[in-house]
Amino acid sequence: MRHNDLYYEERNPSPLQQAWLDFYEKPLARAALYTLALLLFITLFGPVLAPFGANEQFIDALSLPPAWSNHGDLRFLLGTDSLGRDMTSRILHGARFTFGLPLLVVCIAGILGITAGAMAAMNVGVASSSVQHLLGVLFSIPSLLLALIIIAVIGPGLVNAAIAIGLVFIPQFLLATRTAIIEELNKDYVIASRLNGVSSAYLIFAVILPNIVKALVTQFTLAFSAAILDIAALGFLGLGAQSPAPEWGAMLALSVELAYNTPWVMALPGLALFITLISVNVMGETLRSTLQARMEH
Amino acid sequence: MIRIILRQLGVLFITLFLLSLLAFSLAYLFPGDPVTNASGVLATDIHYNAIATARGFDQGIISQYFSYLRHLFSFDWGLSLQDGEPVWQEFKFRFPATLELSVLAMALALLLGPPLGVIAAINYQKPIDQVITFFSLSGYSIPVFWMAQLTILFFAVVLGWLPIAGQINPLFDIPLVSGSILVDIWLADSPYRGIALLNALQHMILPVIVLATVPLVLLTRLTRNACVEVLRLNFVKGAYARGLSTTEVLFKHVVPNAMQQVTQHISTAFSLLITNTLIIEVIFSWPGLGRWLVRSIYERDYPVIQGALLLLASLILLVNVMTTVFHAWRYPRVRRELNAT
Repeated sequence: MRHNDLYYEERNPSPLQQAWLDFYEKPLARAALYTLALLLFITLFGPVLAPFGANEQFIDALSLPPAWSNHGDLRFLLGTDSLGRDMTSRILHGARFTFGLPLLVVCIAGILGITAGAMAAMNVGVASSSVQHLLGVLFSIPSLLLALIIIAVIGPGLVNAAIAIGLVFIPQFLLATRTAIIEELNKDYVIASRLNGVSSAYLIFAVILPNIVKALVTQFTLAFSAAILDIAALGFLGLGAQSPAPEWGAMLALSVELAYNTPWVMALPGLALFITLISVNVMGETLRSTLQARMEH
Repeated sequence: MIRIILRQLGVLFITLFLLSLLAFSLAYLFPGDPVTNASGVLATDIHYNAIATARGFDQGIISQYFSYLRHLFSFDWGLSLQDGEPVWQEFKFRFPATLELSVLAMALALLLGPPLGVIAAINYQKPIDQVITFFSLSGYSIPVFWMAQLTILFFAVVLGWLPIAGQINPLFDIPLVSGSILVDIWLADSPYRGIALLNALQHMILPVIVLATVPLVLLTRLTRNACVEVLRLNFVKGAYARGLSTTEVLFKHVVPNAMQQVTQHISTAFSLLITNTLIIEVIFSWPGLGRWLVRSIYERDYPVIQGALLLLASLILLVNVMTTVFHAWRYPRVRRELNAT
């Protein structure tokens, strides 16, 4: 991507600009970006936007269908569930648990894991490549199974589910960072700047970090979508968020027995979850291909 | 090749050792009495002291670990805290049920995934490719429990074509021999074997399809990307230049090369599938390992959690190592790289 300015200088856009241009070009990616921005907004301000409280019951309006159907009520835009709780409000409140919490967990896990991974990579010899191999095999055990075991030890609950998911993702970040850095360490440009006598902090932050961004972003988006799915799955199994909490997975679990009579109670949280996940995945894919294209230039 | 197999076996043994260490330490990590957590015998039981001695709890931690291993290999996995049944007896019936479901789903994914990917790749960025890419992206993003609910609601409740949950209609009264329903029907001596088989297959359609979706779309995506990459390489151009037809180029040059990249990810697909089995079995009331594990976490049935974890994780590790070995055996280039390191 080149711009001609006044002096016909050729210059490359910065990574952020490049990413923005790529997102701008692809309609699907742009839609995903806007959806995620909206979700972030709802996560932050959902309780303010919601017309009612998450657990506020309306005895006169049990199991109302969405407002556009014949029996709907305009007060409850997306209908109410069997306990007379407004679905719109519940979904708006729930974004905090299903979107905000995984984001927070993955960010914390990412910071800890990447720091530890960078330290492990710079002190080669502490953990040799066979240990790496071993860890790689061990972490082929899926994250949900590991999270289940941690929950079995510390007990069910939303906070515990978040802790479990975080604990599962820290080693994955560690491993991904370590692999990426070690791969870079043997390349000529790193050796060149080592010969220049730079400090190891400079080597990490200014020399290697810009070149492993792709690996880190890939790992981050994969972990984020897996964390959303895992927290919702744990909520669904009744091991994460507990019943009255408006977590989307837990809401789906409640709707199992009512799906035939009140299908919207099942359809809406699932749809919200689906849209969230597809946006995260599309964003991850676009970011990856952008960074890939940038590397190849 | 032998070196690779030996090395993989070494890795397998070390990871299994670590896993057994983890499973052993769970008895201490779980809240409560470690003897009860390991054996399922309550402290009020008259055999409590004998069991504690048998499991080495009067000695040091290392001899406890060895007696744990001894119990593990003599299939004395303790009693379930819920119903007092021996854990291993229960596993023997539940594991085949899980295996049946996952093997069928994996077979479906392997059968459909790569061909769809190849079709998408040869129509790169044409409508067919876009449709397949769209479906694979949505299949990858759909929460599996929601998809299960939707399919149940649509196919079982609204249309009424398929049963909602369970393994088979209990009226058929198939004796429980192995736990895997198809094998049991095969072994059963019932005059209605044919109808029973049909009924069991009907029960199986929905869970298998839902379970197969995630590995299927994963394999489709991987195959598509690998094929697109290979199609750009020079030897494909060379093959066309030699005058080979498109089919020949595709099946002799492109697909074998593309599959090399896909093969190593079969284990990833499998471990995703096992994760989803846990959820699917709960939704479809399938009497397998996953449902049992989830239920035992509610009920804090620690001997069961310990055993189910060990079994599921070693299954995944085994498939992982087998995939690596197969990958190295099938593709000499990979073997050379593995030998070089």
